[in-house]
Amino acid sequence: MTSGADRTELRRRYEERLQLRVPAELAALSELSLFAGIPEKARDKVLEKVRKYMHFAAYRRGDVVLREGDYGDSAYYVVKGSAEVLLGKPAAADRRAAPRVRGGAHAASAKGGAKPGASGMIGRGHVPGTVILSAHPAAEIAPGGRAVLEAGEVFGEISALSRYPISATVRAASDLRLLQIRLPGLRMLQAASKDFKKFLDTRYRERTLGRHLRGVSLFEDVSPAVIDAVREKAELVAFQPGQVIVEEGAPADAFFLVRGGYVKVSAAAGTSELAITYLRTGDFAGEAALILDEPWPFTLQALEHVELVKITREEFRRVLAAHPPVEEKLWAATLARLKQRGAALQSPVSSEYMRMAMDTGLIHGESVLLIDLATCTRCDECVRGCADAHAGEARFVREGQRYRNWLVPTACYQCTDPVCMVDCPTGAITRAIGTLEVQIDPSTCIGCSNCAKRCPWGNIVMVEQEETRPDGKPIEVATKCDLCFGRAEGPACVQMCPHGSAVRISFKDMERVVSTLK
Amino acid sequence: MSLAEVLRPKVPRNLHATVAASFVALALFLFVSWRWAWSPKRGLGLAFGIAAALVYVLEMLYPARRSRARPLGTALRYLQAHVYLGAFAFVCVVIHSGLRFPGGTLGWLLLLLSLWTTASGLFGVWLQKWIPAAMAGGLQVEALYERIPELVEGLVAEADSLAAEGSDALDRFYRQEVRDRLGSLSPSWGYLFDVRAGREAALDPFRRMRAYVPQEDKERLEDLASLYTDKLELDAQLRLQGVLRRWLWIHVPPAGLLMGLVVVHVFAWVWY
Repeated sequence: MTSGADRTELRRRYEERLQLRVPAELAALSELSLFAGIPEKARDKVLEKVRKYMHFAAYRRGDVVLREGDYGDSAYYVVKGSAEVLLGKPAAADRRAAPRVRGGAHAASAKGGAKPGASGMIGRGHVPGTVILSAHPAAEIAPGGRAVLEAGEVFGEISALSRYPISATVRAASDLRLLQIRLPGLRMLQAASKDFKKFLDTRYRERTLGRHLRGVSLFEDVSPAVIDAVREKAELVAFQPGQVIVEEGAPADAFFLVRGGYVKVSAAAGTSELAITYLRTGDFAGEAALILDEPWPFTLQALEHVELVKITREEFRRVLAAHPPVEEKLWAATLARLKQRGAALQSPVSSEYMRMAMDTGLIHGESVLLIDLATCTRCDECVRGCADAHAGEARFVREGQRYRNWLVPTACYQCTDPVCMVDCPTGAITRAIGTLEVQIDPSTCIGCSNCAKRCPWGNIVMVEQEETRPDGKPIEVATKCDLCFGRAEGPACVQMCPHGSAVRISFKDMERVVSTLK
Repeated sequence: MSLAEVLRPKVPRNLHATVAASFVALALFLFVSWRWAWSPKRGLGLAFGIAAALVYVLEMLYPARRSRARPLGTALRYLQAHVYLGAFAFVCVVIHSGLRFPGGTLGWLLLLLSLWTTASGLFGVWLQKWIPAAMAGGLQVEALYERIPELVEGLVAEADSLAAEGSDALDRFYRQEVRDRLGSLSPSWGYLFDVRAGREAALDPFRRMRAYVPQEDKERLEDLASLYTDKLELDAQLRLQGVLRRWLWIHVPPAGLLMGLVVVHVFAWVWY
């Protein structure tokens, strides 16, 4: 455990870092080559609008800017100085291939990556190895090696836009001045400037898209030449929350691959709309309609800000012509999709749960605690068990949203893309690659509450400690459910419920959700 | 919830095993008592007595499930073992006494306490099945027991400001007929039988008042009725959660007394 003095030192450094972040002044921004593509007449107006999402930040040599495994919400433009990119050992990537599941509390999904047969209605993809450093993709750096980013380079934008975990650590190689552009600013700049969008898209296309395509089972055996051709032709498109991407019945003219965000898939059933499934990063849609030459059998709608890779019908057909095995996979996927659509139409319950999961945000959860109120005796043994497992401090509250007989307590969902991990100044909040548990190290948490403010579900709580700061105020530490990490028996809340009312489920596994909640 | 649903065992095989073991024990007793004279002090009669005493000791270890539920793995298994072994122990006690009424005061006390402890335990099982299902099915509001008074205060504060924004008629109605009842918890025992007991009658004044408030206050009146409904649900939560917590008072102290008397009984048998 870190002493109070160490924590105070960490806090002092954080406050110093905040002071080194200065608002971006218009005059300084206008001079940057990054924005040269914005038409001169509109430049000041655009930058004025986006300015609130931008800061200049100074780093001393050796300071860490981005940490491997964290999540980012900003792109960084190197204004002055240089940064080094350090790639960790490959062991971490290996762990990702076989997620660790403890205590039997979480049913490991039998579904593989993007195997058509297992994918059902919509292909489920996976992203093998993640790349965020568009300036120097991890693939170009030897494991354990380093690369240097000089003035004029941009990094971090792919993690911010696609919500991939950061794949390499970036450290200041000299005294460094960066322009930090937060995600809303990035999106506004993309919308305001074709050149800026093209700049980011080109980098994504050159550095990451090929890898992204390879992550989709349909393309995994396709030759590099075809991948290159698709990469060149693919269009990168973005949609706002609620925006309809394609409408059921419209002519199918493209294949879509999700680059970031969540997409709802629904179909009309009489006068109502039936939620069939959802898509997230690495998932795809559209191939069935293309090979069957039929209109879209469902509607795709952005649940949040969504980034997609769009491959036109012609390009898609070229891939099919060049690689007949792809078509075989497509037929298998199509069959599975049609079965899933039929099942959704016949099982309104499944559709209802799907809609509930989308509406409440539970689709983000990898391990959501649910309590069956029809059998729960409100004895609070779950809370006591949690407290016993965490030195007397329970990590959840038996209060929260209710859906039918089920209570969703205020307990961390262990999100697929944990936004709480963005912007932790000391790296206290972590998730080991390939594991479910997002953990907060109390010895390095300085109580800035960035994570608590970011959690959309209010599942992170700031708890006062006995230690005090030099000014006499008590130190606060962020706490959250960590699935009783390290406890051989798994989460205590589930184990200690005497009535079997507490369960943990992943909303990725709708079959289990339906069988549990029915 | 139907009676059949309430009586449905969570783990049917445990019930089947307990019933089977009880039948085997009874058959054994009938056979042995038919061939030989039955005595609680020797042979199989003594064995059943020892078995019952040992099971009672195990029963008293129920709180030891915390914090890791070892060696049974989960608290659910602990509770299942507690319930079914407890029921089987009572069967052993009855067989130990040779299906006869005991002779002395201690014997009577032991039998009655065994009966009481087992019956109160099974009553608890029924409550724990009945009440949660009734609450989940009939109540929309879910609240932590300890927070109910605070939540009611919140409702009163909200209702106060709502009524103050309305017309004099609405405010007067609220002050005279609603506020006191809204602010005081009245957890009726009737909730045990019907979680919505008395709701229609309690909301009747709101329906009557609807004809007398100006048009612009009708929505406020609806909101007040909604707050009052929440309060009625909190009353029900308080009563039902209270019962779920307090039934242990009729189970645990007698069980403790039973264990004390079992020790005296064993001591008396060894000594004399």
